[in-house]
Amino acid sequence: MPTATNDELLARWKDKPAPLLPLLHALHERDGYLSEEALRAVSAGLRIPIADLFGTVTFYHHFSRDADGLDRPRVCDGPVCGMRGADVLMASLRAAGHDVQAMPCPGRCDQPVPVIHRGTVLTGRTASTLESGPSPLPPPPPNGLEECVFAGIRRSGRATLAGYRSHGGYEALTRAVNGMTSGEVIDMIDASGLAGRGGAGFSTGRKWRAVAEAAGGPKTIVCNADEGEPGCFKDRLLMDHDPHGTIEGMALAAYAAGAVRGFIYLRYEYPETFDILEGAIAEAEAAGLLGDGILGTDFSFRLMVRRGAGAYICGEETSLLNSLEGKHPFPRNRPPFPVTHGYENLPTVVNNVETLASAPPIIVHGADWYQGLGRGDHAGTKVISLSGDIARPGNYEVPIGLPLRELLHDWAGGPPPGRTVQAVTMAGLSGGFLAGADLDVTLDEPSIRSKNSFLGAGGIMVFDDSRDMIAVTRESMEFFAEESCGKCFPCRIGTQRLVERLEGRGPATVDAWVDEVIDLNEVMKKTSACGLGQAAPLLTESLIRYFPDRIRKHVADHGDGRGPATKG
Amino acid sequence: MKRNGSPSKNGKGVRLTMTLDGEKVTFTRGETVYEVAERNRKEIPTLCYDPRLEPFGGCRLCVVELEGARNPVASCTMEAQPGMEVRTRTAALEVQRRILMEMVASENRDLDVDPMHGYASQEMAELLDRYDARTGRFEGALSGHSRDDDDNPFIKRDYDNCISCYRCVRVCAEQEGDYAISIMNRGFDTQITTEFGGLLKDSACTFCGQCIQTCPTGALGDLKALANREVPGETETTRTICPYCGVGCSVDVMTRGEKIIGVLPAMDGPANEGSLCVKGQFAFDFVGHPDRLATPFIREEKSGQLRPASWDEALDFAAGKLSKVVKDHGRRAVYGIASGRAPHEAAYMMQRFIRAGLGTNHIDNCSRA
Repeated sequence: MPTATNDELLARWKDKPAPLLPLLHALHERDGYLSEEALRAVSAGLRIPIADLFGTVTFYHHFSRDADGLDRPRVCDGPVCGMRGADVLMASLRAAGHDVQAMPCPGRCDQPVPVIHRGTVLTGRTASTLESGPSPLPPPPPNGLEECVFAGIRRSGRATLAGYRSHGGYEALTRAVNGMTSGEVIDMIDASGLAGRGGAGFSTGRKWRAVAEAAGGPKTIVCNADEGEPGCFKDRLLMDHDPHGTIEGMALAAYAAGAVRGFIYLRYEYPETFDILEGAIAEAEAAGLLGDGILGTDFSFRLMVRRGAGAYICGEETSLLNSLEGKHPFPRNRPPFPVTHGYENLPTVVNNVETLASAPPIIVHGADWYQGLGRGDHAGTKVISLSGDIARPGNYEVPIGLPLRELLHDWAGGPPPGRTVQAVTMAGLSGGFLAGADLDVTLDEPSIRSKNSFLGAGGIMVFDDSRDMIAVTRESMEFFAEESCGKCFPCRIGTQRLVERLEGRGPATVDAWVDEVIDLNEVMKKTSACGLGQAAPLLTESLIRYFPDRIRKHVADHGDGRGPATKG
Repeated sequence: MKRNGSPSKNGKGVRLTMTLDGEKVTFTRGETVYEVAERNRKEIPTLCYDPRLEPFGGCRLCVVELEGARNPVASCTMEAQPGMEVRTRTAALEVQRRILMEMVASENRDLDVDPMHGYASQEMAELLDRYDARTGRFEGALSGHSRDDDDNPFIKRDYDNCISCYRCVRVCAEQEGDYAISIMNRGFDTQITTEFGGLLKDSACTFCGQCIQTCPTGALGDLKALANREVPGETETTRTICPYCGVGCSVDVMTRGEKIIGVLPAMDGPANEGSLCVKGQFAFDFVGHPDRLATPFIREEKSGQLRPASWDEALDFAAGKLSKVVKDHGRRAVYGIASGRAPHEAAYMMQRFIRAGLGTNHIDNCSRA
């Protein structure tokens, strides 16, 4: 295949929506890195000042500026993979002659340890056993409990249009465009109680209505598939095995909100998912389910996939929008919110994959059906990504309100034999830890928030009693420090200072150490500009709450905490 | 461009009210909470704020308590709304601001810099004093890497003292339109950079010095002024107009004795609001230069040598020669070019002189020629 020139690639992307990221990816894959010459061509072609473009490229950790950067295997060194032998794998890759680099969690906590090499994801324990493969399917729910987004996902062929349609796929969209007003679709989603499944928990019906009622256009639906939270890998599963569920959900959102264009912003770490989504969109377009005049009506909706390039903050919706627009991906100041000032400053729905995938079953089965899936007074379901020291890691769609211990022990087989659960994280890492008696929570926001944490995107990492919680906290805080965008002072400085204190630097007396850490926690929680800086201190806050003895020893030893997360 | 002063179409001129520290105050639509508070002399601390720039919301020092909001909000980015209840200085806010200032102090090599660094260079030090924040708490790694290798003669790039407020990047883009510098990397590794991390002279930088003058820590410094640090005497500041072009930028010229030691932009200058170009900011050495002309000169016809002359003699000589050219070759043999440095009034006189005085329309301005 002849190599495309800069001019050819520019001509291909220049007039397309959100052209910067796909153009940079094309150059990165062509050359194996982003050369100065290529960036100067992009700067001239897209009329982005070269200094700005250079700065923006350095923001994304998967874009390499060194020749052959793409050839360097990148190995996950997140908290779970750290316990599963990431260091052994790195050593084995080095022995095989590779220039290895660490990377933050790429969302494979159910199949440790993942490596990204030349744009492909491999998993395994040593260099010689690395292999690529599909996302593992979720274990079936106990007692045949009814599910929403996982209901059809284990059927073979579900990822194809024919497989999806053979069990009611696109029935919701067909019903909506032929027999419902956009207001009726919104009313039904609103009545179901569906709320943002990416972590913020905002009412989906209210969001769609706000965009429907907002002045100006064209309006946009953005699917936030930048699943960057460590310990979260549910959206990958949904898109890999049920891509049409998300696509149909986006089309419903577009019909409801009056949008004509949509983007799936997919994290870089899911290259196989990109191909699956592109294939599914092409199938749906060919069948008249996307594009102009959907299902013979005058409703039109164009859907595109854009890949991120390695930046956790781009999962924050306003950073994501800046990233799509080709700007430096700092979060925006709010208000105004994306429902009125989103993509290109126009009304925009930004929803998580799971939220969108929940919409078609709700339209087909009704709001009451969805409400009834929750336990007690809670509406609906939530997918939990479970990983760490647990017999059966994986994704579980649980009724909201399920006791945490029931999930850990009855659904997922509990901790390894002879071990007990010392602590779990909530919201991936963002909710900090729950431990001790607080493990008696139920999986719903009111219960978890009463313990100063939150359910968020639903990642739960389990740490048994062999784990050193100082080391776990340090590795987790290193992630936030690495991913802090650098816009606001409390997060940029605070994450760094917390890492240092967990490394054994900082005050030498326990009281002074705790005073400093509490002050950092409070200021970060109260004054940070976005959720990253507000959530990161929940780690150290919960460490102080549950493990005061461990902190005393840490400060007394002054300088420990640099070891691996496993004691023995 | 700055957001205030652009009231929305429907709210223009309407006086709205909100509550500020328990008092009812009025505002116009489009004003931010910070602007309203400043008008009411609340002295909210900030480090990333420059009234000429778009509000950024980075330093978080300007957070205020807003009734009904879970967390404090940044007053610089929050538009005032009717009925808002805002508290600008509670005990909790002051504690948070003090901790923030202690955190800021912990990332820099120097907390105090010579004021000759630039216009805003004392802002951080003043806030450290106000919040009694020189405590040494939160000690740890320093952020930013100085660029000692950048040997340009104007701008000191001492990023060990950078606090990543990005005022320099924003003033370069928003005020100057140069986009010469940008933000590289993330989080604590953030670094102010040019394209590909090079030197300023190889970038789009025009050396206007705007970045220096907005820097609140002295991470950027005026090298010409700093070179005059040892000149003896008290610094005097004189408001005047830049002599270079017709724009008429206001400047505050710093002198010690008879020597000009530096130029500060006048933020309240009606023509420039603090903006200057490389000439107005840095090119003042000519004032005291020994080669500078002190009288008119006339070139002797025979020897070709220049000799000093009085103004009367020189003007008579020039008038005589011009008249001779017109007499010998006709009025269209003369072509006048007004200097771009001349103000409107002088340019007008020049065209009157050429058109009415000599009777030709051969007149132009060097700014266009």
